[in-house]
Amino acid sequence: MEKRLEGKNVIITGARKGIGRASVELFAKNGANIWACAKKFDTKFEMEMYHLAEQYKVWIKPVYFDLADENAISTALYNIIKEKEPIDILINNAAVSYGTMLGMMPISKIRQLFDVNFFAQLQMIQIIAKAMIKNKQGAIINLASVSGMEVYIGNLAYGASKAAVIYATKQLSKEYAPYGIRINAVAPGVVHTDMDQTRTEEQMREVLERTALKRGAQPEEIAKAILFLASEEASYITGSILVVDGGRIDF
Amino acid sequence: MNNLEKYNKAFMEILNVAELDLESLEYQKISAWDSVGHMQLIAALEDIFDIMFDTDDIIDFSSYVKGKELIAKYGVTI
Repeated sequence: MEKRLEGKNVIITGARKGIGRASVELFAKNGANIWACAKKFDTKFEMEMYHLAEQYKVWIKPVYFDLADENAISTALYNIIKEKEPIDILINNAAVSYGTMLGMMPISKIRQLFDVNFFAQLQMIQIIAKAMIKNKQGAIINLASVSGMEVYIGNLAYGASKAAVIYATKQLSKEYAPYGIRINAVAPGVVHTDMDQTRTEEQMREVLERTALKRGAQPEEIAKAILFLASEEASYITGSILVVDGGRIDF
Repeated sequence: MNNLEKYNKAFMEILNVAELDLESLEYQKISAWDSVGHMQLIAALEDIFDIMFDTDDIIDFSSYVKGKELIAKYGVTI
């Protein structure tokens, strides 16, 4: 099998579960070395990363920090940069979900969600792009969501945070293009992950009803889209939001 | 190469200026030191001196001379 990212070094946030975990496996399978970022140390996660690295003959280094903590992000990324390995790809995957009506939602909860889903992504880009600048190349993929493109009741905080990610992706793609850094986003629809458990059965039925393929995605199907945007095959793509929603959003 | 030589070399290579012109060099006073050149310079200095500038210091880095003062905050003597 051709390894599309042989020798590339990648940072992936939210690597423990869901799309992040699937991305770690797919990127390792394609020859990439990985800093696999998660919130807290976990022996099972350590062992999984060790075995994946062995299996695909790459290195995978678990890195632990809380994306809600600005200082922790800086420290963790500084330590990665100090390793003096080129950083080729950043995958801003981690996110949290919280949905209810505005009238029942403390503003502090919306701020917390934005800290992880939006401000942490910006901080990751701000720091890692500097490391990419000196190599005059890099690819950054942000995880957006079709929730940031459509309106439905109860989705204010998450949807607004993902709309912000979409805007930032487009804007930053122009800001960083002079340095050879491409910035794109993947916008999934329903994905079968723990995060998706926040929908009620009725809400899920309604969303799938207006999804052309009538099913949710497996995390691996989203990881494939991320891999494409990270690879040389997407060398002329920047500022794009790749919708991977099974045919849900109408344009 | 000492720290001053490394510091100067970064400016000369990234902004394409002569050593004689360094002392009077200020941000946005030459075309090469625009916002794009600024980030290239910051990225290079971080790599050379193994430091990570605070955002406030990136903003305050307004001249060749000011840069020396800011870098000293990170324990690098030029």
